Amino acid sequence: MKSSYLLFLLAERLFGVKLVGAIEILPWRPSRRVPLSYSYVEGLLDYRGTVYPVHNLVQRLGLGKSGPIGFAAGRNESASKGQSIILLEENSVPFGIVVDSVMRMMSLEEPVTAPEKVRGVDPKYVRGFSYEEDQEIMILDFERLLHAD
Amino acid sequence: MNEGTRFLIVSLGGESYAMPITRLLEIAVPQAIKKDANLTEVFEGKFEFRGKWVPVLNIKKILQLPGKPGTALLVVNSAKGVLGILVDAVTEIIDTAQKAVPVPKGVMNPTTLQYFGGILRYRDELILLLNEDGLLP
Repeated sequence: MKSSYLLFLLAERLFGVKLVGAIEILPWRPSRRVPLSYSYVEGLLDYRGTVYPVHNLVQRLGLGKSGPIGFAAGRNESASKGQSIILLEENSVPFGIVVDSVMRMMSLEEPVTAPEKVRGVDPKYVRGFSYEEDQEIMILDFERLLHAD
Repeated sequence: MNEGTRFLIVSLGGESYAMPITRLLEIAVPQAIKKDANLTEVFEGKFEFRGKWVPVLNIKKILQLPGKPGTALLVVNSAKGVLGILVDAVTEIIDTAQKAVPVPKGVMNPTTLQYFGGILRYRDELILLLNEDGLLP
């Protein structure tokens, strides 16, 4: 059975998120920073009456270059230019993710279960892989990503 | 008729925070704060308020915000007693009918979540409501 996925690029890799409910794609913008928040949380974003926590996926997945993290480190806003924020829902919980670029929406078969080792990404956050035109698309498990370890 | 709640808007490290005004006893200039070795490092010391010694909290230390302790002193009635809280500035008092939105899950660990009473919208920004009852262990 096919479902709709939104494909996006992050650290030069192709990722997909299953679409359930409404989504919004916004150009990157600063979020309201929250002291003591997890280092991968950029902050809170108010969009059309809903407050979204914005997760920096590169940091969450550990894909990024190492650098200053956390609230006190501040943010390099120029590094965020050109990025997008995808606002979506998982189990009716709204959240946002920062991605390098949004590719397209497409219909994909259910992902093939993730192997035990996934290059560069903790496999527990990977629901599986889908393939389209020889491209490997990593389908993330947001239910797990949103709940801190 | 106004059914709203009044909040004090304060500034900390360049961002706005709110506190319910019902808890505010006084806004003072921090002077004559005495060091007290019995207080933990999140306190700047104590000061005399209406004949009693009140601990003065450097809230930036609790929230891990950089910078010097604030220069405005809020005297508030918390569940743990009267408390002084140093903030950078008191911005204004707002009257709003909105209810604070809870801080979403997965943003911070539950221990630090108790420092915040939720989120309010103020002008075009989101501000965090401080929970004066949760600041002290």
